[in-house]
Amino acid sequence: MTPVLEVNNLGVAFGGIRAVDGVSFAAEPNAITTIIGPNGAGKSTLFNLISGLIRPNSGRVILGGVDRTGAAPHLMQRAGLGRSFQITNLFFELTVFENLRLAAQRLEPMRRFLLPTGKSDRALAQVGTLIDRFGLHAKIGELAGTLSHGEQRRLEIAVALAAKPSILLLDEPTQGMSHADTADTANLIRDLARNVTILLIEHDIGVVMDISDHIVVMHQGKKLTEGAPSVVRADPAVKSAYFGHA
Amino acid sequence: MTELLEYIQFVLAPQMITGLALGIAVVLVALGLTIIFGLLDVINMAHGEFYAVGAYVALALGASGVSFWLLLVIVPLIMVPIGYAVERGLIQRVFNTPDRHVTTLLLTFGLGLVIEEALKIVFGPNTQRPPTPIPGAIEVMGVILPIYRLFLIVVGAAIVAAVAIVINMTRLGAIVRAAAFDRNMAASLGVPVKQVFAGTFAFGVALAGLAGVLLAPIYSVFPTMGRDFIFLAFTVVIVGGMGSIAGAVVAGLLITQVQALSSLVVSPVWSDPIVFGIMVLVLVIRPQGLFGRLGHA
Amino acid sequence: MHDGSVVQVKSRPVIDRLGIAMRASHVLVVLFVIGGIVFAAIGTAMGDTFFLRLATEALIFAGLALSVDILLGYTGLLSLGQALYFGLGAYVSAVVLKQIPSFWAAMAAVLLVSLVVGFAAGLIANRVRGVYFALVTFGLAQVVAKAIYNTRALGASDGLIGVPIVPVDFGVVTVMSNAPAGFFLVTLGVIVILYAISGYLLDTPFGRVLIALRANERRVPFLGYSTRNARLAAYVIAAVVAALSGALYPMLRGFVSPELLFFSTSGNAVITVVIGGVGTLAGALYGGVILTVLKSVVGSMTENHLIVIGLLFMAVVIFLPKGLMGLARPQIERLLGREAR
Repeated sequence: MTPVLEVNNLGVAFGGIRAVDGVSFAAEPNAITTIIGPNGAGKSTLFNLISGLIRPNSGRVILGGVDRTGAAPHLMQRAGLGRSFQITNLFFELTVFENLRLAAQRLEPMRRFLLPTGKSDRALAQVGTLIDRFGLHAKIGELAGTLSHGEQRRLEIAVALAAKPSILLLDEPTQGMSHADTADTANLIRDLARNVTILLIEHDIGVVMDISDHIVVMHQGKKLTEGAPSVVRADPAVKSAYFGHA
Repeated sequence: MTELLEYIQFVLAPQMITGLALGIAVVLVALGLTIIFGLLDVINMAHGEFYAVGAYVALALGASGVSFWLLLVIVPLIMVPIGYAVERGLIQRVFNTPDRHVTTLLLTFGLGLVIEEALKIVFGPNTQRPPTPIPGAIEVMGVILPIYRLFLIVVGAAIVAAVAIVINMTRLGAIVRAAAFDRNMAASLGVPVKQVFAGTFAFGVALAGLAGVLLAPIYSVFPTMGRDFIFLAFTVVIVGGMGSIAGAVVAGLLITQVQALSSLVVSPVWSDPIVFGIMVLVLVIRPQGLFGRLGHA
Repeated sequence: MHDGSVVQVKSRPVIDRLGIAMRASHVLVVLFVIGGIVFAAIGTAMGDTFFLRLATEALIFAGLALSVDILLGYTGLLSLGQALYFGLGAYVSAVVLKQIPSFWAAMAAVLLVSLVVGFAAGLIANRVRGVYFALVTFGLAQVVAKAIYNTRALGASDGLIGVPIVPVDFGVVTVMSNAPAGFFLVTLGVIVILYAISGYLLDTPFGRVLIALRANERRVPFLGYSTRNARLAAYVIAAVVAALSGALYPMLRGFVSPELLFFSTSGNAVITVVIGGVGTLAGALYGGVILTVLKSVVGSMTENHLIVIGLLFMAVVIFLPKGLMGLARPQIERLLGREAR
């Protein structure tokens, strides 16, 4: 099967510091590929490179078989990439409904772009689907900024998913969540993976081991190793990177 | 050859000195602006009006007999409590709103309007000019230079150097920089953040007022002088880099020299478009300015 | 199914807050128009010329304020130089009218010129945002204002005079530009049409992208839209609105002058929007009228009315950030919301 996303020798340096250094891996369709690594390993920078926020100095990003290296974020989105953020990046002064509708309006044909929003049937239908899936009924009319942290993190994922991307990049989706919320979110992500490929950055090792199909370990900008969860868990190099000893 | 020397002696050098004098004053104004922005993250659209206030206060006090030398000290001191009050009373009120940058822009814009109108009411709309404190000229290497302009250059440079030293090398400067970098952390370390911010604003405003005192004898005093000047000051800050002291100095001197020299070649009508052109060029090619870091505004 | 305020999502009604807010503005503007018609009727009955013409001028400048609100209130961009397009529209209109005294010819020319100039200037201005954008727009207006001031062909500091009286031909009825009530209604019509078009656009997916820019510009590319293109589009629309409003000025006054491009004109528009209510569109119209009334009333009491307005402006920024419409709109939104259920 052709991978949905291929990253080849991707690298970027900021004034002498190689934040990401020659990283290569592939994300298989409908699988959950998780990037893990200690703080400062370059995981979020990697996401920024893939999603187009930062231009790489070297390497290539291939999405759906097409070389998209260096494409701006809005072009990556149109190519089928959805992304959520580690620090919640919603439209806080707009309602939950409007956040979702905005994200979903890309599903509409261009001729509806200058018609009243009420005519955007597909977007509205998608909003309905998302509300059901993410359990946001109660807060649909509330401003996104008034939601609880857990609800905001869920909305963050919903917004990234709204335009039906072929690959979903989730940057620490359970960040700051309670135990119960984390478990729910993990299940949600596993469920999502049936329809969309998922690339995940996650710190919670329990979640990582539970739902990942494939793990990529990063350390100091480089890829340390990758493999199935059981393999990575037993790898002494990984333990050493995290804890300083095998 | 003698023509070239004569050109240098009678046209170029005096023009460059004039440009330098203006440049030092622009640097003083831009310094205050860039410190207020770099450290407080506040865009002070009323900064030009504080420059005008300094000039007017000097004019008024000077007319009632206060000596120029005393004015150089008194006027900035008068500006300090004014600036402090403005920051504590007005700017801090809107500092914690989500649209902060736009709101402080609007607020200081309104403040500038009010100050300008107040000056017009109190002092009348006409142009006035205080007498030159040090009249006369001296000859330096065959070039005749007004003494006051030389004085301005020397004093201005000294002040700029003093400011740079205070900000970068003293404990007070370190406290201010710390509070600017992370106000919560500084507060938890015992730094009185609100007072530091207000004091820094007052300092920046005092610098502008001082520039007003220094430039008044050369460029005259009129109610809209602040607004005319502010564009140049903001251009300097943008070109130099928002928040950079070195940037304000380099850009201030550079741009005023470009202005001064260009007026020898083209009509002075082109002065504004040239300055604007420089600003746009920098914004397009290197938005963070010569020495600045991107991220604000 | 969508009536602008309630959307059916999976057969459950959802309140579209932005839709309701826009409808509330529409209600306020309808009231405004009714007020305007009544005003014109009374003015005609009393044989008044002065107040009708003052009101017409207020409306023309309200159009400029409208263009400021499109940028500031919806796209999140503060332009300190919108007077550039206002003045551009006025001058182009004056030049055209002196050759061809046709309302439609002038408006068409202004539309074309403002589209081109707005696009070109927008390419420069939209490379930056925030205070840089404010300063670039300020600078652009200053430079063009000074250029016109020094151009003898355009009348230099005196401006262009001798703009003829223009017949405004609607097919069924013709209004002369010097008819106080008639031209007042024409102006009202133009400004309201500009409002309606702006309001319509802001309620489309395109308009929602602009609103998203103000709400959180960093996220917008990840929705699949180029922020540069969106901002450029908003800028051009605002330029056209300002220019078409300015085009009416020489028809009313018979002349144009460089003051129309000066910073005070841009600044006044910003003050109008802030006092009327940023992000409401209706605030620009009400604000324009209120400011004109204030200036006349306070101006008759003292010469220093500008300082009163400046202080009022500052007070609004601090204490009433949503402006006067911010007080009125929520009440109407509540009524509309209740109706819709």
